[in-house]
Order: sequence, then structure tokens, then C-alpha cells
Amino acid sequence: MQHVANLSASRAEPAPAAVAVEGVSHVYDGREGKVPALEDISMTVGAGRFVVIVGPSGCGKTSLLMMMAGLRRQTEGAILCAGRPILDPDPDRVGVVFQEASLFPWLTALDNIEFPLALRRAPREERRRRATEMLNLVGLQGFGARYPHELSGGMKQRVSIARGLVQDPPVLLMDEPFAALDEQTRMTMGHELLRIWSQTGKTVVFITHSLTEAVYLADEVLVMSARPGRIIDRILITLPRPRTYEMMATDVFGRLRDRIWQQIRKAA
Amino acid sequence: MTRLQIVLVRLALLVLMLGAWELLPRNGVVNPRLLPPLGDVLVMLADILGRPAVQEAILVTAAEVIVAFIIAVPVGAAVGVLIAENDYLGEIFKPLLFYVFSIPKSIFLPMFILIMGIGFQQKVAYAAFSTVFVVIMSATAAVESVRADHVLVARSYGATQMQVLTRVYVPSMMPFLLETLRISMIFNFTGVMIAEMYASRTGIGHLIANWGENFQMPQLFAGVILLAAVAIAFNETVRFLEARCSTWRT
Ligand SMILES: Nc1ncnc2c1ncn2[C@@H]1O[C@H](COP(=O)(O)OP(=O)(O)OP(=O)(O)O)[C@@H](O)[C@H]1O
Ligand SMILES: [Mg+2]
Repeated sequence: MQHVANLSASRAEPAPAAVAVEGVSHVYDGREGKVPALEDISMTVGAGRFVVIVGPSGCGKTSLLMMMAGLRRQTEGAILCAGRPILDPDPDRVGVVFQEASLFPWLTALDNIEFPLALRRAPREERRRRATEMLNLVGLQGFGARYPHELSGGMKQRVSIARGLVQDPPVLLMDEPFAALDEQTRMTMGHELLRIWSQTGKTVVFITHSLTEAVYLADEVLVMSARPGRIIDRILITLPRPRTYEMMATDVFGRLRDRIWQQIRKAA
Repeated sequence: MTRLQIVLVRLALLVLMLGAWELLPRNGVVNPRLLPPLGDVLVMLADILGRPAVQEAILVTAAEVIVAFIIAVPVGAAVGVLIAENDYLGEIFKPLLFYVFSIPKSIFLPMFILIMGIGFQQKVAYAAFSTVFVVIMSATAAVESVRADHVLVARSYGATQMQVLTRVYVPSMMPFLLETLRISMIFNFTGVMIAEMYASRTGIGHLIANWGENFQMPQLFAGVILLAAVAIAFNETVRFLEARCSTWRT
């Protein structure tokens, strides 16, 4: 009972932060001088929430995600995950899925999923067991022995998601993971991701350019301004779960989508 | 055409060529003094392979080829990786290396002879020199073929520098490495042959040059068949390995 009470409470107000971004700014020191990419970003992502970030191209979404993953160090501010700062990549706390599935072409699907465990020299049997579990979770049972070039774009992204989840990190960061897919596959993958999310209870930070995708997936949508990126709006998506394709045709869906669009137009 | 048809046509062409080589000189259509019949050449090949002088020459040539290869490949690979990974060194040295790469290396041979004489060292040095540039170029291309997103993925899962090297760089570069080995062996072998034919007292190249000058055609052709067989065998072995790696290249 206690558990259920907590859950319903977390819907009303944000749960304790799985990711906390505190006053993060970033300036790139590139060939053409200093480029301010992010300006004083603060946000918190409650545990188990699905947060989508949208914003004009070049506003610093990928940069922010890289910092959350510990792959790049911000010039100012702090990023905390599970209450501790992220300074380097920490696969126990954060899994990452990139736009290109970025599978290693010389490894089979199963070996790709095992890769993070192999880096830690986990025992072979445990690796196999765990990777097979993930393969099944993403709906690819029976495809473990295939090489990436033998998989469709959607299947590759499924493998990539499985790889991101294999170490069971509480947080999954996704940078336009479905952008390279055709629209039908993209819808299916969004739906699949929601299933995986509800089955695993992960916290997801998801970047996209698709407003429909944003509303369909999110608990909340953060809108960023053009460069230097700031967060200019936070829109709670109150649609009930589980989400269904039919919801896309509703007025509520349209209004939410429209509000995000207005914000982005202002931002660009 | 099916695979089988292609193979059959190839075989037919080969038989046709070898048949012509055997028959035309025997019937006097082609002067057998210039082109001895294949049968005679094969008999001669068996004969010269039994001669101690030829056996010694083979050993000398093999040693030169192997030593030059062992020097040129690691040195070229190290330099190639260095200029690919280090932007500063790359900007400075890449154009220079491309210039040198475009020069026919044989024009430097007289200098090697002046400095090092006509012994083992000179031939090894010249062959290594004529090989090292193609290794540098290929190694650079191999490093540049490593995809940045693969490195990023590995790092995001906590890979150490060493793990990025062994688990991303090496497998990414594997098809290139084999191709590099194959092509550099062609350059290397050519280098040794040129050095031996130009000025030398030993080696298969030296024997071939001698047989040519003395108009000993059966010996000359026997030597050609021997070298061609060795070169093709090496090339095809590496190509076979390459094909096995290239399944995941796409
Ligand atoms: N390594 C870098 N050096 C210099 N500038 C960079 C670097 N990486 C990104 N930038 C700049 O920082 C800004 C933000 O880039 P980023 O990739 O984070 O944007 P984004 O929001 O992900 O864009 P998109 O929606 O197109 O993916 C861009 O203007 C980009 O040109
Ligand atoms: Mg981006």
C-alpha cells in the first residue's frame, strides 16, 4: 500500500531527483573563438520520470546530454546523479543511447549488448544471461547471433537500447534515438520504449525534434531557447498512461503540441 | 553469369594461355629461343630448384624480404598512427609524406648503393624505404576510419584508454591492416628485386638479371614462375583473411 501511495504522490509533485542540473553553463573554445552553448541551465528529473527536451537545432541539447553522461565537462555548474556529481562516464548510474545506433559492426547483436559488461570483465555466463534478458526485453529474441548489417534500423536501435540497459543504470539518456528511422518504425519504437520504460522503471531523459513524439512519450517537456541554450518552458503532459495511438487525435494532445510549438517558435 | 561459370571461364583462359605457351614455341610459330615452351621451363624450374647456388639465393632473398618487411611495417604504422592522431604533427608532415610518396623510389637506389654498398643491408634498407611510405599512408587512413561515435559509445560505458584501443581501434582497423600488409608486401618485394637486379652478387633478382643478360631464357622464365607463385600465394592468403573480416565492414 505504502508503495502505491508513493507512486500516486509522485505523479502530483516531482519525486526526488534522479538527475539534478544546477546552474550549468558551457562555452566551447572552438576555431572561431568562444561559443557560448549553454547558459545557466537548472533542471531536476524525478526518479522514474520520462522527461523530453526539445529546442531549435544547435541550442545545446546534445552538449547537455553529454555532460549528464560525463562525456564532456561543463565550464560552470554541477550535474548530480543519485545525489553525487557526474564527473566521468559512470555506466552504473547512467546509460546512453545515441542517434546513430552506433553498434560495433564486428560484434553480433548479443555481443554488442554484452559490450559494457565485457569492459568490466564480468563473468562470461552472467554476461550471456544478462544480455539475453535484455535482448528479450527489447523484443529481439532469436536475433542475438545477427550482425548489425543484418538488422533493420529499428532493430539496431532496439539493440542499442538493450546495450544501454544491460548494466541496469537507474537513468537512461537518449539523444534523438529514433531520428534516423522512418515514421512508422518511429511510432512503433516510441510505443516500445514506453513499454520498456514502464517495465523497468527507469528515469529517461529523451531529446527529440518531433513534437508528436515529445507529447506522446513525456511526463514533462522542457523547451530550450536558441543558442546559448536556456530552459524557457516546462510543460507537464497530463495525458493518462498507458498512452495509445488514439490519443494523438485528441484535442488535449493537439493543444499540448501546439503550446510546445509556440514556445519553440519564440525560442528560435 | 553464375559463380561456377565465371570460374570455368577463368580456368579456360588460363588453360588457353598455358597451352599457347607450350604449343606455339614447339611448332615454331614463336621463336623458342625467345620464349621456351612451358614444359621446358617447368623442367628447368625443377632443375634450378635443386641447385645449391639457387637455394642459397632464395634464402638470401627471403631474408631480405622478411627483414625489410619487419622494419617497414611497424615503423610505417607507428608514424601513420602518430600523424593521424596528432593534429599538429599531421598538419606538418602529411603533405610532405604525400610528396615523397609520389616519387618513384627507384631513383634513390644509386644513393643507397653509394652509402651502403651492395650487400644485404643496402637491399634491406632500400626495400624498407620503398615500402614505408605506403604503410604510413594506409595506417593514417586506417586510424581515420575509426568512427568517433564508436569511441564515444565505448567511453560512455567506462572504457579505459587501453580498452578503447583494443576493443574499438584494433577491430575497426583490422580490414585496413590486412590490406596494408598485402600492399606493402608488393612494394617490399619489388624493392628487394630492383635492388638485387640493379647491383648485387646474390639473390634471386641477381640470378634473374644474369640469366637475362646471358640469354638463358628457360632459367629466366623458371625464375619468373617461381617469384610469381610466391607473390601470388602471399597476396591470396591475406586476401582470404581480408574477405573473412569484411563481412562486418559494411
Ligand atoms: N566540440 C565543439 N566545439 C565547438 N563548438 C561546438 C562543439 N560541439 C558543439 N558545438 C556548438 O555548440 C552548439 C550546440 O551544439 P549541440 O550539438 O549541443 O546542439 P544540439 O541542440 O544537439 O543540436 P541538434 O538539434 O542539431 O542536434 C552548436 O552551435 C555547435 O556548433
Ligand atoms: Mg544534437
